[in-house]
Amino acid sequence: MKIVVIGGTGLIGSKVVAKLRQQGHQVIAASPDTGINTITGAGLAEAMNGTDVVVDLANSPSFEDQAVMEFFQTAGRNLLGAEINAGVKHHVALSIVGTNLMQNIGYMRAKKVQEDLIKQSGVPYTIVRSTQFLEFLKGIADQATVGNEVHLSDVRFQPIAAEDVATFVAKYALEAPINGITEIAGPERFALYEIVARYLRHTNDQRKVLSDGKPTYYGGEISHSALVPAGKAEFGTIDFEEWWSKQLQKA
Amino acid sequence: MKKAKLSGSDLRAPLIAELEQERRLLLDLGNDITRVRDKNDLITLFKKRIKGLFYFTHTIITLIDHKDETYVPFLLDNEGSPIRSHPRYQEMVKSHFPLNEPFIQVVLQADEPISFLLEDIMDKPQSPSFLRVNYEKGGREILMTRLMKVGKPMGFIHIYSDKPDSFNNEFRSIIKGITPQLSSAVSNIIKNEELLAKEKEKSFLLDFSSDIVTVRTKEELVRTVRAGLSKLNPPGGFVIRRINEDNVTMSPYVYDLSKTQDPKVVSALENARYPINDGLQNRVLDSSIPLLFNVDREIQRGITSAYLQYWKTMGFKDIVGIRLRNGETNHGILFLDIGEINVELLQGICAQISIALANIFAHEQINKKQEEQAFLLDFSNDITQSRTKLDLQNAIFRVLDKTMHTKLAMLRLIDDDGIHLSSFMYDETLFNKAKTNYDKKQSDRITIDETYTAQVLASKHGLVFNVEEELKTGNAYAKLWKTTGLKNMYALPLRVGDKNIGTIWLLANRLSQLLLKGICAQIAVAVANIQANEKLLAYKKQLEVENDYLREQIKTIYNFSEIIGNGDQMQKVYRLISLVADSNTTVLISGETGTGKELIARAIHNASPRRDKLMVKVNCAALPANLIESELFGHEKGAFTGAIDKRIGKFELANNSTLFLDEIGELPLELQSKLLRVIQERELERLGGKQTIKIDVRLIAATNRSLEEEVKTGRFRSDLYFRLNVFPINLPPLRDRPEDIEPLAHFFVQKHSRNTGRKIRKIAPKVIQQLRSYTWPGNVRELEHLLERSILLTTDGILHDVYIPRNMDAEKQDEAHLLNRTLEEVERSYIIEALKRCAGKISGAGGAAEILKIPGNTLHSKMKKLGISKRDYFV
Repeated sequence: MKIVVIGGTGLIGSKVVAKLRQQGHQVIAASPDTGINTITGAGLAEAMNGTDVVVDLANSPSFEDQAVMEFFQTAGRNLLGAEINAGVKHHVALSIVGTNLMQNIGYMRAKKVQEDLIKQSGVPYTIVRSTQFLEFLKGIADQATVGNEVHLSDVRFQPIAAEDVATFVAKYALEAPINGITEIAGPERFALYEIVARYLRHTNDQRKVLSDGKPTYYGGEISHSALVPAGKAEFGTIDFEEWWSKQLQKA
Repeated sequence: MKKAKLSGSDLRAPLIAELEQERRLLLDLGNDITRVRDKNDLITLFKKRIKGLFYFTHTIITLIDHKDETYVPFLLDNEGSPIRSHPRYQEMVKSHFPLNEPFIQVVLQADEPISFLLEDIMDKPQSPSFLRVNYEKGGREILMTRLMKVGKPMGFIHIYSDKPDSFNNEFRSIIKGITPQLSSAVSNIIKNEELLAKEKEKSFLLDFSSDIVTVRTKEELVRTVRAGLSKLNPPGGFVIRRINEDNVTMSPYVYDLSKTQDPKVVSALENARYPINDGLQNRVLDSSIPLLFNVDREIQRGITSAYLQYWKTMGFKDIVGIRLRNGETNHGILFLDIGEINVELLQGICAQISIALANIFAHEQINKKQEEQAFLLDFSNDITQSRTKLDLQNAIFRVLDKTMHTKLAMLRLIDDDGIHLSSFMYDETLFNKAKTNYDKKQSDRITIDETYTAQVLASKHGLVFNVEEELKTGNAYAKLWKTTGLKNMYALPLRVGDKNIGTIWLLANRLSQLLLKGICAQIAVAVANIQANEKLLAYKKQLEVENDYLREQIKTIYNFSEIIGNGDQMQKVYRLISLVADSNTTVLISGETGTGKELIARAIHNASPRRDKLMVKVNCAALPANLIESELFGHEKGAFTGAIDKRIGKFELANNSTLFLDEIGELPLELQSKLLRVIQERELERLGGKQTIKIDVRLIAATNRSLEEEVKTGRFRSDLYFRLNVFPINLPPLRDRPEDIEPLAHFFVQKHSRNTGRKIRKIAPKVIQQLRSYTWPGNVRELEHLLERSILLTTDGILHDVYIPRNMDAEKQDEAHLLNRTLEEVERSYIIEALKRCAGKISGAGGAAEILKIPGNTLHSKMKKLGISKRDYFV
């Protein structure tokens, strides 16, 4: 099969590309760097030519509310338009668990718009909603740091390893479209501040993690269970400790 | 030892020299490589410089495509390569060779140039096909070196030789030495090529832009776009479709279909209107980026728009569609017959075309506006020259046809009552299919409260009724509209100032609102003018009629306004006149001929509140029966043969005044019923007219017949008689009021002596005596005419004689009179007659007694008894 992975040079994208190539598929790793731009449309039509499956893992270069919305709208329209023209048979997109529950957050609104565009496009699709990646832990700690303290919420948190995410995405890309949403998450569930504290301990980071008891995520108010799957979900196999040991190996 | 030493230094010396030579070589090559600007330079470097130093057959450079982890040919030695004649050469040139295979992985892992004998590796699983192709064309060994860019592999140098073991260490070391410089040279070439391409695009767009700013017309646009696009891709076709005015369809605007010469296809494409939302056009219009689509796939998708089929027959496979948009407005689509998209370039081109389109549209619009305005001006001229409805109708029909290709469905005007609307003008040809129905509809008089009319009159700039929608809502007119096949009914109020004067209705698919408004404003003014004109004409006509009538009256009526006579009988009449005059009561005046019925009617009118208006008189006996009707009620133009003009009837003329119907007893029976209706309803219709006219007329009828008798014999309708006989006034005959004869005689003598210019100072007593003794069957009129004649025959200022008729008719009349008289009267007048003949001699010879054969004394006593004095018989 010919598979185009939009955002194919990114964290998840490169892993998905590698996994799909390993299975002998012709995979295009699309990104502005490789000459395929979903915003300007450059190279898009050519890349779509003869493509069976498109995996959209692209993320907005800016996280400002307006910019994110514009990115997902424009990229979504252009990409889906090109897919329709080329007769693509399956559109797989990565979204976020709880997107619909966190519409007070600009980024989530944009992801919802992206999901809706896919649903309305007429292209057979699979939307994979994932929990946050273990790879985000450092970033979460950094954005919550005040002086030597890290103030974090105790919302439920079930991070998944990027490797697992890639495995799931690659799996769904090769399966028949479900024309719906499926959710994936890590194997363990924590309070957000706990796992960040654990991570900082592992990295010998001296910052002190405090639970502020506020149900927030990146400053947006959310419910305690918004970030974890509510119903049926598939769970990754890599737990925090395994993930950490792999991080050490890489380093 | 020395030898050894020597040999050592001998060995070292060449080695040093070798190294030195290599260093120089590297330096030279390095210098040369830095001068490489394009692919040719690089090829030349390999062929001329390096080939001169070492043996190899040809060189190829491939580049890694990270997108799909492959490497593709970049630099081909077009002249030196022996594989150019290989049947798979073209395939090689286009191939993407995967990185994911053992042979190239070995090369990727190797830090140094690495050589292979083709025989060893070319048949290994997954080995790239170019190894075997080269082998088949004599290649034996390959030296592969990876090119690196910022620490990552970017491509490979392939050096082939047709001899095994031809790549010595020195060569490998040189290649290794120049690899970094070659890498940057390749990077530079790529960058240069990109820059050049960009430069070319930019300058192309600049040229295109400067060409397109001069575009003013559609034809120029075709030329410019064709010229521009022909520079870009192998000549294919393009078509620019524009969004039609209806905003739901698109039509080809300009195109270049070099692929088809079939005029049928071209004209089919040219004249088509494709719905925008056909599943393809809307996708292009909604997409901010150019869309590449496959004709077959779109047909399979179920898009039925005909152009796809035409494209297919013309052999188009892939088409690029880009929306043409200015700001937020879509103007159309550019379809290009190309299989790949250079997004930036296409968007650049389309931006320019969009501007040109917007300009052309604006231009076309301006031209159209100008044309429309010019026509409006003409129309305005036409209209100012129309004085009649026909002129106006011609002007209106012409302007509607020329500017808007529509016809006048209806023009209704509000009547003088401000409530009703009557049909004023419409184009009969519009409703040919529903003729009878329409005629019926148009003659309906509607009011301003009629649903649709009320809406139109209330609207500021008129309304548009969609025929289909109106049909659904049960609009009765819509069925009629539907017969024309047109889609919309445009209805506008006609206003002069802020006063509504009517409504105008136009059926069309689409009309320019601005134009419509302009035309309607002018029509409103013109109609108002015509209306005013018509009114003016009507007034003029009425004045003329009144004038004629007055002249006639002056000629015919008795030229006095007083009634002479103060006897008891007349006093009774005066009392009745004063009683009835103030009311509107119908008066029936009866009396013998010449008793002055008209004078009495006039007296009533002059004493009534209607006195300021002219009393209108109709003599029912004076007109032929067939003309009386039109005389009374008027007629419309064309009501009957000879009715070449509209005529206002006497009834209308007498509106708010008095109508005097003389000789009512002579009115034919069929008109009696009409008259009765008018009296009862107080309204009438002109002959051949559809409109009912309200009238307020006071009626005075007069007759010399006994209407009661006429009713009995069936010559007069009893109901009409009772209607008329509300207030009867009976005029006494002159003979019944002999006391009035003298004043009447004086009055007439005075009147006629003045008229004839004879001075009559006196009437002889004998004359008075004669007048009094006559029975006057013709009453006052007879008295007047008799005196008039007598005056003419008088010569000396004293009226000595009157010529009382003595003919057979008079005798017969006298006989009739005699029969009605008492014996005493007969006796008295006979004695007087005898005395007169005897010149007053009573007895004796030639005396009256002798004639009467009675004794003189008897005659004396009879004269005394009957009160006969000398005055009675002395003439």
